Amino acid sequence: MAEQTIVLGMADLMVAPAPVKLVTLGLGSCIGLVVFDTYAKVAGMAHIMLPDSRGLKTSEKVGKFADTAVPALIEEMLKKGATHSHIKAKIAGGAQMFSLPGASAEFLTVGAKNVRETKVKLSKMGIALIASDTGGNKGRTIEFSTGNWMLKVKTLGKGVSEI
Amino acid sequence: MADLESFNALQLDAIREVGNIGTGNAATALSGLLSRMIHMSVPETEIVSIYELAGHYGDPMEIVGAVFVRSMGGFECSLIFIQSEDDADLMVELLLKQQFGTFIPVGEIPEEMKDSALSEVGNIVLSSFLNAINLLIGTQYQISVPGVAHDMLSSILDVVASIYGQLGETALLVNTEISVEGLEDGRKISGHIILIPDPEALDLLLKKLKVM
Repeated sequence: MAEQTIVLGMADLMVAPAPVKLVTLGLGSCIGLVVFDTYAKVAGMAHIMLPDSRGLKTSEKVGKFADTAVPALIEEMLKKGATHSHIKAKIAGGAQMFSLPGASAEFLTVGAKNVRETKVKLSKMGIALIASDTGGNKGRTIEFSTGNWMLKVKTLGKGVSEI
Repeated sequence: MADLESFNALQLDAIREVGNIGTGNAATALSGLLSRMIHMSVPETEIVSIYELAGHYGDPMEIVGAVFVRSMGGFECSLIFIQSEDDADLMVELLLKQQFGTFIPVGEIPEEMKDSALSEVGNIVLSSFLNAINLLIGTQYQISVPGVAHDMLSSILDVVASIYGQLGETALLVNTEISVEGLEDGRKISGHIILIPDPEALDLLLKKLKVM
């Protein structure tokens, strides 16, 4: 069966059976969270924008916030046949695109907060985070393939790495 | 914060006029710096879904050069000057030629000097923009040191999503294109100025413009 490629946009969340390639283009401060179960052969990705959904209306996309995306993604994995204890996670993203010396603007450091909140949420749910490429000041394009269960991370000026 | 969807035509038009006055002053300053004619498009006030931002301004994967500043006090906002990487290179070449009198191909200019030149262009464009609009609405402000980034358009625009995302699913932006004309080889150098008002500052802006 040919590998299907799914490209996720902002705040999208998707789970699909292997063979599949999950792609997110141009992550800045956003996070690409990948979860997979190599036994059940299923994988999912979320394009997380912000750490915390506090006080927001429920009609928003669940993939938008770390605190809602992580449980939603795990639930979707279980629905598609994954076993909780077999699910592993990888994350990439969370860069700080601009730094302004002397100016304090909370939104500029949202990348680091996204990383922290995603990690906390994964650990609370008992999901092992086995690889990450986060922080810095460069955008990332990521591709996860169920062919080798590796996350390919492309960074401008740094080339491609697999985690 | 006012509900973006409920803004009426008069209010959007008043905000657009702010963009017009800001861009006019920015174009004048850039023209003085480069001794060239500057063309500007009519600014637009846009209410854009934060999920579709990246595609809204072009190819999300295009590599762009961007200069970002924060304006604090009075009407708080962020401003970003975005150019395709090629246009940013041409802008740097033109500025250095203008300042030093000799042409240096961009390939021979050290990265730090390129960024410094680009940040200077962005700083002049964006601070002139801010000067004009603060004069118009009668507010005091401080402007941050500019930040420069070269990256995918989509990554750069994450910053807009992080400003508006916490409050909803749409962003209010004022977008203008300016271009440098009259280059010897007939090319033109374009750039986008995007004004990103803090959502909390929109009420103040509308009140100062007497449309609320």
